[in-house]
Amino acid sequence: MTTDTNLAPAAPPGSQPRVPLSQRMQGLGGNARQYGIFGALVVIVLLFQVLTDGKLLLANNVAALFQQNAYVMILAIGMVMVIVAGHIDLSVGSVVAFVGGIVAVTMRDFDMPWVVAILIGLAVGGVVGAWQGFWVAYVGIPAFIVTLAGMLVFRGLALVIVGETVAGLPSQFIAISKGSLPNFLGFANNMDVVTLLIGALAIVAIVVSQLRARSSLRKHELYVEPMGAFVAKLVLVAIGIGILTVILSFSAGGTPIVLVIVGVLVVAYTFLMGRTVFGRHIYAIGGNRLAAGLSGVNTRRVDFWIFVNMGLLAGAAAIVTTARAGAAIAAAGQNFELDAIAACFIGGAAVTGGIGRISGAIVGALIMGVLNMGLSIMSVDPSWQMAIKGLVLLLAVAFDLINKRRAGTQ
Amino acid sequence: MSGDVPLLSMRGITKRFQAVEALVDVDLDVHAHEIVALVGDNGAGKSTLAKMISGVMAPDTGLIEIDGEQVTIPSATAARALGIATVFQDLALCENLDVTSNLFLGRELRSGPARDDGRMELIARQVLRDLNSRIPSVRSPLSTLSKGQRQSVAIARTLIGSPRLVVLDEPTASLSVGHTAEVLVHIERLRDLGLGVLLISHNMNDVRAVADRIVVLRHGRNNGEFDAATVSHEVILAAITGATASEVESGPLSTLLRR
Repeated sequence: MTTDTNLAPAAPPGSQPRVPLSQRMQGLGGNARQYGIFGALVVIVLLFQVLTDGKLLLANNVAALFQQNAYVMILAIGMVMVIVAGHIDLSVGSVVAFVGGIVAVTMRDFDMPWVVAILIGLAVGGVVGAWQGFWVAYVGIPAFIVTLAGMLVFRGLALVIVGETVAGLPSQFIAISKGSLPNFLGFANNMDVVTLLIGALAIVAIVVSQLRARSSLRKHELYVEPMGAFVAKLVLVAIGIGILTVILSFSAGGTPIVLVIVGVLVVAYTFLMGRTVFGRHIYAIGGNRLAAGLSGVNTRRVDFWIFVNMGLLAGAAAIVTTARAGAAIAAAGQNFELDAIAACFIGGAAVTGGIGRISGAIVGALIMGVLNMGLSIMSVDPSWQMAIKGLVLLLAVAFDLINKRRAGTQ
Repeated sequence: MSGDVPLLSMRGITKRFQAVEALVDVDLDVHAHEIVALVGDNGAGKSTLAKMISGVMAPDTGLIEIDGEQVTIPSATAARALGIATVFQDLALCENLDVTSNLFLGRELRSGPARDDGRMELIARQVLRDLNSRIPSVRSPLSTLSKGQRQSVAIARTLIGSPRLVVLDEPTASLSVGHTAEVLVHIERLRDLGLGVLLISHNMNDVRAVADRIVVLRHGRNNGEFDAATVSHEVILAAITGATASEVESGPLSTLLRR
């Protein structure tokens, strides 16, 4: 990044202006919500670790957690963008079934290589998104209606394509969801070295990027959190990733391939939402659509591309889902839209739009995933699992609202 | 007034909304280094005229010239390309974004694929300093600022991208006396920076405090143009209401003058 090269500090360093208390609190308030979700995830993990007699964090269970929930995380990334812009997408579950069917048929009936099938799947997802984006952005039909229609349309089309289960997919394709990175570096004390390496790289990357962000804040004489808190945060993050890495390195395969896919998507989309003009415009549209339009933001184009992107990610989720099932079925993706939407709201997205983060949505998806897995290990009846997840969603949003209201009245 | 060719010149502007004549054959000039106040009663067509200048609405008939060249202004982006910046009456700001983001909304600076947040913040602080505005931090979300501070942000925004003409639609409506004074100072700063300013306002005190020229609209038509330095309150009120100056002086309207 060449962001800071042409900047000279406007005041001599060391003359850091005193930051008013209200502003410090405000900075904390902004981050407190974010820390809160992470804290909730940690609490839930520890709770189930105890309740399941330590089975939750067994290496293979952790690997399975990511393999089972990759689709929610992928969909939640797109969904949080849709929600921040003030829309909703109810069709992603049906789109997953539809695209999954196309991908499977391409491989089995048309004998296409699996790479080509994946590209076709992503392309079809993008086209589906463009179709819905067209109606939302350029015709002006509320996204709720357009995607409700899409939910029916694409479920119907999925049934047409996948009359009966399309199985017998190539093993390389299935490995996307079920496989792990090859352990080509061997093992150290039974730990997969590739996994350890990836974990170490992730920690280094996070520390470096945080340090750079901090020095850039300093350069612009903006408020930075106290050194102690900053270091504590980094240490906690490093410990968290370290623990996860070590656990995964003991699992049967090492690092699941889907975890790498999700990781890359998270980094890419965090950049897109946080650092690009497009991301800023999404937040602007969600905050005040009229103002954004009057300021010269092409609101229609942004809306359109948000849905194209959602379609693309639904295509990716379809590939992951189909690979995991090893076959395409017309009923695939049932309730996926609800999982993704729930993940976003648990992760702190605002129903009114304008607020929400990729990282929040991912943590929201993980909270749901840990609940699922923990309750399953405890062999809680699936009906009760559903009820419990519903209550967690309600409580998460209620907690958020009450917090906000209290902050507002102070 | 500087120069023979006005910065903005509108001739014979007419706009109808179904049966309602919002504007009929309206003329308006704004020069550089000049604050022109556009006054009139509710529904006189002030905001409609402003929207045409800022590209939100197109006239049915009439000519718009910038620097003597005929132009059409089909969109807000087109207006900006012509050097026209607008502060809308209903604050066109995003409350969830911080000050810098609002200042640069729709014209963000880039550095490669990313935004150039550092440079934008630097310019934001510069602009706010130019206006002598009191904003705690350029990273404050708008939702944490007072109404007056938000209006400062709205006016500061016009200075991004070096415009030549600034249109302000009721910038002091709903502001406290203190904040109003601050905003008026900002408006004079705009003129001192060499811009043409079109100030739309209800408030005669504000208008007389800063305007060089006062243009009156009544029922969508031109109803007088006055030199702000010499014209009396009575004459302007008469033009706005359609009463004669003597009626204004003695009648119930005279109470307005004492405000």
